[in-house]
Amino acid sequence: MVERVGHAMGMPIRIAVPDGIAGAALDDAFAWLRFVDATFSTYDPGSEISRLNRGELPRGAAHPVVREVLDRCAALRTATGGAFDAGAPLPGAIDPSGLVKGWAVERAAGRLEAGGARRFLIDAGGDVVLRGGGWRVGIRHPRRRDRLAAVLALDDGAVATSGAYERGPHIVDPATGRPAAGALSVTVVGPELGTADGYATAAFAMGARGPAWTARLADHAAMTILPGDRVLATPGFVGLCAGPSIAGSLCGGRTAGRSLSRRSAR
Amino acid sequence: MRRALATLAVTAVAVVLLARYETHPPPKPPLPARPAQAPPRPEPGVQTGTGPLLATPFSSIQVRAELTRGRLTGVQTLSLTGVDAHTQEINARAEPILVEEALAAGSADVDVVSGATYTSESWRDSLRAAIRDARRG
Repeated sequence: MVERVGHAMGMPIRIAVPDGIAGAALDDAFAWLRFVDATFSTYDPGSEISRLNRGELPRGAAHPVVREVLDRCAALRTATGGAFDAGAPLPGAIDPSGLVKGWAVERAAGRLEAGGARRFLIDAGGDVVLRGGGWRVGIRHPRRRDRLAAVLALDDGAVATSGAYERGPHIVDPATGRPAAGALSVTVVGPELGTADGYATAAFAMGARGPAWTARLADHAAMTILPGDRVLATPGFVGLCAGPSIAGSLCGGRTAGRSLSRRSAR
Repeated sequence: MRRALATLAVTAVAVVLLARYETHPPPKPPLPARPAQAPPRPEPGVQTGTGPLLATPFSSIQVRAELTRGRLTGVQTLSLTGVDAHTQEINARAEPILVEEALAAGSADVDVVSGATYTSESWRDSLRAAIRDARRG
């Protein structure tokens, strides 16, 4: 087992490769994450994205990855007659940070695969990307930090959890401006981390209406933990549990993994 | 080839965006339509709004919020990932099926634990922008 923990995008990131991998491949994955951090941070006034948005960095001098983002935004803006950037804070300004974490971690997974890793996991601050099969993923209990609320048996894909227990009620319901009420945490399992993360956040912000909303998501499974020790899960989520039920997943049960189709990675 | 596919994907999403870009208020049909052919009428008090496009080189996403009497009642996500364009539509007519259980607390041997962090701020910001847009609508 080769394991390394680094820090990027404001959180600890752990990469674990049970069958081992060359140190250079791990170096490469972490170097990529640090590069993304430095390039796409909208909080860092010195990042390329910040300098571009202030008009200080000529487009031609930006990193090819950044230029690719700009080209795609421009193409979409033209094709939609400007419809897509309704609500954008500045005309032409781009804010890719919504997807940067999921995207960057998925790309880091691609780099590990290119470096020869077949079976590995990346834990980005509690949001997880898995490859290669046979993983057991615990879902943190919202009120008891040292306990689990469920265990999933997964082969491939991503798991994201959104909740209010870490560092206080940090998620505000965007519709009311008040801390989101109605759920303690929402976990979403899907083929790719960026979308799973977004769905978990949106469902949590929707409060009591979140569980029904998650039940309609294509290609994703979800579990919402509500106050009063109630859990509402999609049938797909129960099917991924390492046991006959969510509660039963905590007592061992089967270990054969499953995965949701990973369209995005091809 | 890769670039050509990416262009196709962008075009596909653009078409979807256009198709979903509703005018407010919806145009009245020129003739009284038969009920079976009538376009779905938005429920009274429902507003929709769209947030900014969030893009990375290989994926992009856009959030669309639906408010009913000022409360968030729906979020739709247009997603384009890699060269495989697709929309992740929420079918509002499908009856959602959920399994209810009692919350358990236990311990087990696991490889990793998924839990909340506060790293989803930008997602929340995107949703906020979509809601602001809906209120302006």
